[in-house]
Amino acid sequence: MKADSRAVLIESVVILAIGVVLGLSFNGKMVLDAFSGRLNSTGAQPSGGEAVHSTVDVQAFPLPIMLEEVRELLAAGALAVDARAAEVYAEGHLPTALSFPLGEYGQVLPDFLQQVPKDRTLILYCSGFGCPDSFDLGERLLAEGYLDARVYEGGFPEWRDAGLPVEKEAP
Amino acid sequence: MSRAMLYVYHFCRLALGGVYLYAGVVKSADVVTFARDVANYQLLPYAWNYLAAATLPYVETVAALLLLFNRKVRPAALILTSLTLVFMVALVTVLVRGLDIDCGCFNPSQGHTSAGIALLRDAFLLFPAIVTLRLSGRMSAR
Repeated sequence: MKADSRAVLIESVVILAIGVVLGLSFNGKMVLDAFSGRLNSTGAQPSGGEAVHSTVDVQAFPLPIMLEEVRELLAAGALAVDARAAEVYAEGHLPTALSFPLGEYGQVLPDFLQQVPKDRTLILYCSGFGCPDSFDLGERLLAEGYLDARVYEGGFPEWRDAGLPVEKEAP
Repeated sequence: MSRAMLYVYHFCRLALGGVYLYAGVVKSADVVTFARDVANYQLLPYAWNYLAAATLPYVETVAALLLLFNRKVRPAALILTSLTLVFMVALVTVLVRGLDIDCGCFNPSQGHTSAGIALLRDAFLLFPAIVTLRLSGRMSAR
């Protein structure tokens, strides 16, 4: 009975290993890039103004970051981008954040392209965990050629609940 | 094992295999989105979310195929039972922490499934998982 249980355990480990090997054979590049910090364009430094997306074979997508890193990046000059609707943004947003509602992508993009250089670090956020707009906006902006887009998944609710400063638009 | 128990066993084996095959295939088709769903749980360090998203759907798929083809049923059922329990623990932590996230259980682009609903679904899934695990032991002992 004991030997039987042991055999089942060993077989389970083998099945697990087969699944892991299969997964890594299909997605190994993505995992390596994630562990080396090159998953999105954040690890690809601009060189001579050339597009750097070619250095990343997997689909470029925004890097999720947590509150502490958001604060550090904002202090270092990153730009917060609010993907929520304009009226929600007006009620309160991260300090100095630009409003870029995903639903008005086509209308807002030309101004955004003019105002924001492609090598500026972007921190996209919306209404917190479960809100996909910031991630979708980040993907689109990376496709537009922005080099460093990150998603603050805690979003405005986490920022506000942490007691951090909030800006409101004048009515 | 009685004939009725045999039917129950095969039903549970096929149901468990079918559910996990679907879950594994749809998640492996969009690993990037699934990685985001895993990251939303805030349980793993950043890069580990991608490792989990890259491998988990394939583990589910391999184990589910073994169940469906009636091969290595006990180890496959053990893996899927363990995974179901791990998912349930993760969902309980989501409820305790009050996070409003999509569970990421099946199709990453299917929309929002709350942790409570997902936990209930996993509790139902645990039944065929345990039945398959227990009865497959008796099958192999025959």
